[in-house]
Amino acid sequence: MIEDLARNLVELKNEFAKSYEGKSQIQEIIPKSNSELFPIIDPHLESLHQFATKNPIYYNFFEKRIGSVDCIVYEGDINRFWLNSIQHTSSKAPFSPTWIMSGYIATLFAKELGYSEVVDIGSGDGRIAFCARILNMESCSIEIDETLVELQKLLSDKTDFHPYCSDAAELDYGSFDFKRPIFFIGGLAQMGGTALAEVALRKINSISHLKNNSGWVFAGTYSQKYAPDPKNKAGWGTFIEKNNLKAIRTVSLPTAWTFHEPEPTPYIFSQPI
Amino acid sequence: MITSEDILQMFHSETLKLQNLIDIANAKEDMSIHEIIETYYQVMNVSSIGTMLKQQTEYEVVLTDIKKTEKMISEKFDSDIHPRILTGLSTSIQKMTKTLQSENVAEKSKEQIESNAKLFEDLRQKMSTREFVQQYAIGIAHD
Repeated sequence: MIEDLARNLVELKNEFAKSYEGKSQIQEIIPKSNSELFPIIDPHLESLHQFATKNPIYYNFFEKRIGSVDCIVYEGDINRFWLNSIQHTSSKAPFSPTWIMSGYIATLFAKELGYSEVVDIGSGDGRIAFCARILNMESCSIEIDETLVELQKLLSDKTDFHPYCSDAAELDYGSFDFKRPIFFIGGLAQMGGTALAEVALRKINSISHLKNNSGWVFAGTYSQKYAPDPKNKAGWGTFIEKNNLKAIRTVSLPTAWTFHEPEPTPYIFSQPI
Repeated sequence: MITSEDILQMFHSETLKLQNLIDIANAKEDMSIHEIIETYYQVMNVSSIGTMLKQQTEYEVVLTDIKKTEKMISEKFDSDIHPRILTGLSTSIQKMTKTLQSENVAEKSKEQIESNAKLFEDLRQKMSTREFVQQYAIGIAHD
């Protein structure tokens, strides 16, 4: 069922990208209501729309029928966050969000795999952690850029997904009461993602009850812009092998940075061997 | 098969093109991104042909031509135009960043936000051009 949801979203995005004539820097869609293709319960859909309407990165929205699905199109601009994020020497990847619907589907997978907490490292506006909260999972959103953390605080007043303004390399992961967490790593392997993942993995591996109990989600790419990884896995193969992880599932979902590309973003779900 | 004579002809014609680009760069205060990229590629192009030619010729007159061109690149481009371009890009990036940081997004209309996005795009282009130019500087330092 979740696989179908992911596939339907990718098809809907492709349909939307063909017909989109706007000029916004980023854009995304959320189905207006529950349907056969998107059997999402109303309170969840409502929360996803709320996240978008309250989020100042979106400055315009309108209704549009895409294929057979009535959707709301959200148009946004993240330039000023980009400008701020490039001032950080430790921030390797500038802010570019996944789609809200993609965050929702990815956290559905995380929940189905049995994880109880979602920790999003390099979390941007906190959408993945927000989605985890609406699925009643505990969540924690770590971001180094204070402007983005301010934005997260603004968005977390009703659904608290615990934003932390911190450098992931400096954070004391032992101070959280994680039981069975899954860590989402913000950033492609080729855009500083491996450095971020390495530091988080090292810290988690030093906490005995989490070492073999944690999951990892990596955002990959098959774009020819980047040199391929010899072990594949959308750029993460070498990292996964070197760190004794195994990829257990890959789910492809739309993101802001792949809107104009034919291939969506593969999210590699991994766990210790 | 390309003969040494072909390479020599190519070297002369490409050197002429480079000379023109250097003249343009000298005459202009503010070069466009396209002109900057074109000039650097031409410098690299002529340098590579010169290196290739040096390995294939023993004629003093050809070696003198190559030296003349190398001198032009070193004195006019590496020591003068290149640092000017780098400084110009850095100053312009600094100014654009300051201006964009001071803008109040909350009061902007959809149209203003979308037209402002063009300025951000220009800034990104300048930043990647600066990276490209800095790479050239690293190359010079290792020569």
